[in-house]
Amino acid sequence: MIWEVFRQEDAGEYHTHCGNVHAPDREMAKLFAQIQHGRRKPTNSLWVVPKDEIGEVDAEEAAFGGTTDKSYRWVMGYKDLDAAFAEEVAESESEQEDADRASAGGDD
Amino acid sequence: MDVETVKERAGPREFSPKDDLPEEYRKAATRMIQFHANSEIMGAYLERPFIRQAPSLDRKLAFSAKVQDEIGHGQLLYRAAESLGIKSREEMLDELANGEGKFLNCFHYPMESWAEVPMIAFFVDGAAMRRQATLKRTSWEPYAHAMDKVCFEEGFHVKHGEDVMRELATGSKKEQQMLQDAFEQWWPRIIQFFGPTDDQSTHHDFSADVGLKTMTNDELRNAFLNAYVPKAQKYGLEIPDEPRIRDNGDGTYEVVEDDLDWEEFFTIAKNDAPGSHEQIGKRSRTQEAVEWVRSGLESWEHGEDTTAPQAAD
Amino acid sequence: MAAESDRLGGPAELADDERAAVEALLYRLADDELVLAERYTEWQVRAPTLESDLALANIAQDELGHARLWYDLLRDFGYDEADLIFERDPADFRHASLAELPFEDGDWADAVVRSYLYDVAEQLRLEALADASYPRIADRVGKIQSEEAYHREHAQNWLERLADDEASLKRLQAAVDRLFPHALALWEPSDHEETIEDLGLRTESLAAMREQWFDTVIPFLRSLGLEPPEGVRENPEAVRPATIGRDGDHTDDWDALHEEMTRTYRELGREEAHKIMPDPDEADA
Repeated sequence: MIWEVFRQEDAGEYHTHCGNVHAPDREMAKLFAQIQHGRRKPTNSLWVVPKDEIGEVDAEEAAFGGTTDKSYRWVMGYKDLDAAFAEEVAESESEQEDADRASAGGDD
Repeated sequence: MDVETVKERAGPREFSPKDDLPEEYRKAATRMIQFHANSEIMGAYLERPFIRQAPSLDRKLAFSAKVQDEIGHGQLLYRAAESLGIKSREEMLDELANGEGKFLNCFHYPMESWAEVPMIAFFVDGAAMRRQATLKRTSWEPYAHAMDKVCFEEGFHVKHGEDVMRELATGSKKEQQMLQDAFEQWWPRIIQFFGPTDDQSTHHDFSADVGLKTMTNDELRNAFLNAYVPKAQKYGLEIPDEPRIRDNGDGTYEVVEDDLDWEEFFTIAKNDAPGSHEQIGKRSRTQEAVEWVRSGLESWEHGEDTTAPQAAD
Repeated sequence: MAAESDRLGGPAELADDERAAVEALLYRLADDELVLAERYTEWQVRAPTLESDLALANIAQDELGHARLWYDLLRDFGYDEADLIFERDPADFRHASLAELPFEDGDWADAVVRSYLYDVAEQLRLEALADASYPRIADRVGKIQSEEAYHREHAQNWLERLADDEASLKRLQAAVDRLFPHALALWEPSDHEETIEDLGLRTESLAAMREQWFDTVIPFLRSLGLEPPEGVRENPEAVRPATIGRDGDHTDDWDALHEEMTRTYRELGREEAHKIMPDPDEADA
């Protein structure tokens, strides 16, 4: 049975997919994953998940975020207002702009 | 996706299991990655005796860790190959044990003395790492991901190999001579690691066109010689007269192909050299010997309690 | 920790019998770990699956790392690695015979049973050393203990799974029959046992630890349908094999293993063993 493995490098960070292990059950998968995926790279925690239990929906079947104009959800929809008066609002704005640029740039 | 589209789109990490790729691409990628995975496993057979024979406790630890890493790399690579949907890991491991699986030329030769250790651990691993670094830009994304981790780990292997070589090169006269002898024996095989020059290689064109390979045999060999010839000389090794290698002075080299034994190389490529039979035989015997464990695990996984009393049939 | 007044000083401050007792204890610890690890490394590239190969290799490296820590304490007594391993007479090694026994190709049951019997003993032994009166020993116990939990879990998980399969259970039983008597060697006293106990180098006697070991391994093996040798608890001496290793009496297989282990060193005419890592004391500093 194949188990997908997700590694968290430091406490508080996300678990990121890092590979798999073949193991007959969850306990053995955890034992094996510790060595194969936690031995060399910095590791705080590992998840093991049966490969068949992972459900996926991708951009071919779903229109993530919708296709019609949803600019009302975004800071960029409020261009005439200056966010500089409050640091946290400005930060949120720049994060949203980065995300927007990334999705416009496609897979890069 | 048809082959023409694949060629147009080909680029670093361009394709993933979500793409509907033509069989020709998936088969070519499987062949390449399976070869790579097999080589990780078979290289470990040459090195494993030196875990025991290492002349210090620290070297023993390093050797054990290195052999462990190679098996780990095999694990990652079989996964990258499996994700192409052509063969399962089990099928590929079966092919390796029954002699159908192909692997690097250097791992078809026996390795008997400690002085030979740096030939694999420094030169062959160094050559492999050169190639692997270019494969971080391969078009099959799972393969590129595996290369990220392999290259992360492999740096220690090459340095470990160099450390063993340095110790021999700065050791007694006898050690230096043993090292030189080993070098002369292994050097042509190491040059052949990169395969024949480009005009003789058969699989290259397609693999390059679809972005699986990102450098040609010649380019890789040049890059290797540029970095590793000076290293060999630094440790006092004399480069054998044959094969003749002409330094073009511009970072490229020409290897006189006729100085190399290509008949041996192609016999090895068919798994038909004496060393091939020896190494594959080992793999086959050791895997057969633990077949019972795999089938025991299988029944555990499927919840078959075979120890429970059964009705007579 | 042992009371301040009971603590022993460094090597230079020990009386001859004290010194001999500390050395005897350390040789047993170091040799057990080294030789057991040698047998584990035979599984590298030969284990049943890629994942199990990686796991056992890791356990082998852990044990080698423990051997390194114990041998390092013997260096305080003026020996170097060459004296301790590479130039030492194989008859001077003091590991238990459990560690040195060879196994048949593919006998994964051997690896699993050997590891289980050893690792439960190792746990008891480390607990009894945590308060050792020789501070250099006590100080190193914690680091070793934290790697041992994985070893036990690994061995137990394998035993539970293989025992569930009829054919595998038979192989496990054969391994228990063969290895259990040799595991008793782990509890065989040395000539210095009395001094070891008197000085508080260990806070439990070997006899008491053997009882605790029986308390753990016998019920666990039985719960899996595995039977320890008949009457072992009541009369361990009757089950104990002739060759126990602890007294320097070893099997021929040990000589072969030692010969192979030291082959390169001899072939190259080496006089010292190369170090990669810093001295454990410096690494801790």
